[in-house]
Amino acid sequence: MIAPYLVLLIAFGIVPVIVAAITSLEPSVINPGGGPLNYLQALQDFRFLPALGNVGVFLLLYVPSMLIVVALMSLLLDTVQGRWNVPLRLAYIVPASLTGATAVLVWYFLLEPTLSPYKDVLHALGITQGGQIWRAPNLAWIFALMAFFTGAGNWIVVQYGSLQSISDDILEAARIDGANAWQIGWRIKLPLIQKYVVYMGILVFAAGLQVFVEPQLISSSVYPGLASNWSLNQLSYSFAFQSNNLGGAAALSLMLLIVCVIGAVFVIFKTDFFEGAGVKEK
Amino acid sequence: MTTSALDPATISGRTAVKTHAPKKRSVGGTVGRTGVWIVLLVYGLLSIIPMIWLLIAPSKTAEQLNNEPPFSFGTFANYGEAWNHLLTFQNGVIVQWLVNSVLYTVAIVAISCITAVLAGYALAATAIPLKRTLLIITLVAMIIPPVALVLPLFIEISNAQLFDTPAAVILTSSFYPFGVFLAYIYFSTSIPKDIYEAARMDGASEFATLWRIALPLSKGLFGMLAFFSFSASWVNYFLPYVLLGSAENFTLPVGLGVLFSSTPALNPGNGAQQSVIGRPEIALAGLLLAIPILIVFLISSRLLVRGVLAGSVKS
Repeated sequence: MIAPYLVLLIAFGIVPVIVAAITSLEPSVINPGGGPLNYLQALQDFRFLPALGNVGVFLLLYVPSMLIVVALMSLLLDTVQGRWNVPLRLAYIVPASLTGATAVLVWYFLLEPTLSPYKDVLHALGITQGGQIWRAPNLAWIFALMAFFTGAGNWIVVQYGSLQSISDDILEAARIDGANAWQIGWRIKLPLIQKYVVYMGILVFAAGLQVFVEPQLISSSVYPGLASNWSLNQLSYSFAFQSNNLGGAAALSLMLLIVCVIGAVFVIFKTDFFEGAGVKEK
Repeated sequence: MTTSALDPATISGRTAVKTHAPKKRSVGGTVGRTGVWIVLLVYGLLSIIPMIWLLIAPSKTAEQLNNEPPFSFGTFANYGEAWNHLLTFQNGVIVQWLVNSVLYTVAIVAISCITAVLAGYALAATAIPLKRTLLIITLVAMIIPPVALVLPLFIEISNAQLFDTPAAVILTSSFYPFGVFLAYIYFSTSIPKDIYEAARMDGASEFATLWRIALPLSKGLFGMLAFFSFSASWVNYFLPYVLLGSAENFTLPVGLGVLFSSTPALNPGNGAQQSVIGRPEIALAGLLLAIPILIVFLISSRLLVRGVLAGSVKS
């Protein structure tokens, strides 16, 4: 019964990692001898540190803003019960349908001062041409903004869901003790949903580390070259498809993969998120 | 942690949202509540503005987009006009992209859901060796973002001579550890173990137990599996972008990228100046990609919460 899944798991979960590990040691144009030197060369490539810096700044903007806004908005949403709650939740989910290629398209328009729905705001800020926004130093902010709006709404609704699990008795007891809404949110609700927030933080971090679509599309079609090799994944893509250096590409993707595996193992064994899932030693 | 987001009843969709006890109001409280409402409504507006803009953008001509207020509506005829223009792009290849997207997605949803249900049931209700190891690997695979495996998959797929075939995208995307985990949680919490035991005592095979006992109790599970599988595969960009080479095999998201780069609509430096693909056409193509996801999300918003938090059930 488990066989069909097992075939897929082995073929597309485990074998690719093994193939990549073998490929990462193969000779390439810049490393005719092959071996672990591929890893070192990937790290020493002149584009690696800038890409690492870009992704680092992107993560610094993206992950904390997700954590703070999502926690705050879900707590606020939880204070509003009744018939307005549902329309609000539906509204928050809408941006998640504008992801990937569509997100790039929509944000191109939103940030284009000649036709943006926010053009009055942009004009007030003295921005009259898209070129004033789409500049290299702003890219981390723009991509963080895109990623934030694509993901935040769904997570607000999910964390709102986790708040629904808090028993009324606890909240009632706090109210009887004289706690106000702010104190209940901050001191009682937030600590009780902490593990869900940590879980989200790690998923968001792992996904952010792999950022690819937004810079790649902007760079390959809208503003040529503006964000080429901007992220680590783009660099690994360039190794494979432009420098004909599959070894380097495999080495870099494996290093990124390892960071994500560490994150995953941390969630599984060091947090209590999967407590009931039967993976801990009994 | 004494509470759990998802007791079995929540997963199977039987609990309704709780209503909190009414609160006492004071003057300060009223001011605070007004502030809360403003924040909630402003965030709601910010959330829907881009979608509303995208919905009405193709109703206007490129000139109207530039000159008229952002939220003014053009004419319905302009949607047809924009669509006709899209059809002239590389002999109507956009129809092929749409068809591909639908076919690939249907195949992926079918294969991924069936394998997930079978595996989830096997992990939850039958005795298989290495159960805990399999679970841990599945969890790791589920937490790692799919993008992380794209280049390794590309190397493997090219070695297997599957590059630029629909099978490359369909098979790789059908690996669905999250679905297996959802099914596993569902079968191990929502359906009492005794039921499986009883069926087995009566001499039913594992397949018969799954087919006659477990599946009829799992309508909610299928909805949830299909929802997450669909929303991941319909918009997937990086994987088909890397695994496919020729335009006639592309999906709509990859095709959208092609449209971006072959028209002067977004950047005057691009493509032929004579191209009829302008901003309304690009917006319409984006809309075709976004609408199915939007509809599925709005209809199934409950599944989102139940699925994402399904990991943290109490044992």
